Amino acid sequence: MPRALDLANLPDADVVALALEGREAAHRELIRRYERPVFSLVFRMVRDRELAEDLTQDTFVKVLSHLDRYRADFKFSSWLFKIANNVAIDHLRRRQLDTVSMHGSPNAVTVEAQESTRFDVADAAENALEEMEAKELGSAIERAIAQLRPEYRSCIMLRHVEGRSYEEIASTLDLPLGTVKTYIHRARHELRRALEHTRE
Amino acid sequence: MNHRHLLPNEIDLLVDGEAGFGVAPLRAHIQECPECRERLEDARVVVDALESLPHFAPDSRLADRVMAQVPVFVPAHVAARDTVRRWLPQSAAARVAAIAVAGVSAFTLTIGMIWLALQGDAVVFVTGLLGDRVRTAVTSAARDLAVALLGDAALSALQGLGAVGASLLFLAFLLGAVGTIAGIRRLAVASRRA
Repeated sequence: MPRALDLANLPDADVVALALEGREAAHRELIRRYERPVFSLVFRMVRDRELAEDLTQDTFVKVLSHLDRYRADFKFSSWLFKIANNVAIDHLRRRQLDTVSMHGSPNAVTVEAQESTRFDVADAAENALEEMEAKELGSAIERAIAQLRPEYRSCIMLRHVEGRSYEEIASTLDLPLGTVKTYIHRARHELRRALEHTRE
Repeated sequence: MNHRHLLPNEIDLLVDGEAGFGVAPLRAHIQECPECRERLEDARVVVDALESLPHFAPDSRLADRVMAQVPVFVPAHVAARDTVRRWLPQSAAARVAAIAVAGVSAFTLTIGMIWLALQGDAVVFVTGLLGDRVRTAVTSAARDLAVALLGDAALSALQGLGAVGASLLFLAFLLGAVGTIAGIRRLAVASRRA
């Protein structure tokens, strides 16, 4: 059985093979590798930390409980993101949360809860003015993303936060390549319009 | 200069850093057209902001909560393989030596078993011979004892009765032994009272 340090150096397909042999350490390695990207995608989709934790947990439980369905000719991360996206989209459709308040989670019922679910993304910058502008842009971009349709949001997150190619995104989301390009183009257009005031 | 400004999807091609036959004219146009250059810069600002977005960290107990719901099953062939591996030494050289010793031992045992099987008749004969000699010695000693105790005539009469006679002899001996023990005990009790 490879040690924990060796697991970290193995490609995804090898770790999945070890997980299928009943190695709990391999299951945990898969979670360790992708918990942040999956949680980030889901969090930006549903805009509620507690809910995103639950949906992320559901995603990993589904994936790890059905590892026998994974095909090695498909990237594991793409399969994982596909399930994560479906879990988030299904929840949004049930809750009909296509637009989200910029003042915090719609599920927040107290001032403290609203404050804790608002987005304030810190960013390193060289001077106070740049730092202020970066914070504003950072928060502005998060708010602008929240205004996108869920389908656009998924595509733009996978493209620019996870660095996936158009073809991978199309395969992950089961969309035609042309549709993915259209969604990303429209998402960029809407984000540009939403951020116009920060470019003054 | 080409007065047609770039289309939105052409701006996207440049933002995505696409390379190819059709991209060079687009880049050339950007060099010459301030308006398209500005549009491209605006698009790059958005993309840079997106690519700078951080990953958020979930709760540190996520893995524990997930594993509490995921059944981890070790297939039978993996369990068997793990059992065998636990018995083997760690180093390759030690494993080779262990396999060599096991091989030699197995070969030797196999040859021994084959030899014994071939010598089976001789073994059976010797065992039977020894058994006969032991039985003869025991029977002779018992007969000598019975003659000393009962005499030839009584012994011959008992032998004539066969198994019934042997049982009667044994029963008589048992009754005599019990009676003797009881009598001695009574005498001992009586002597103490006296």
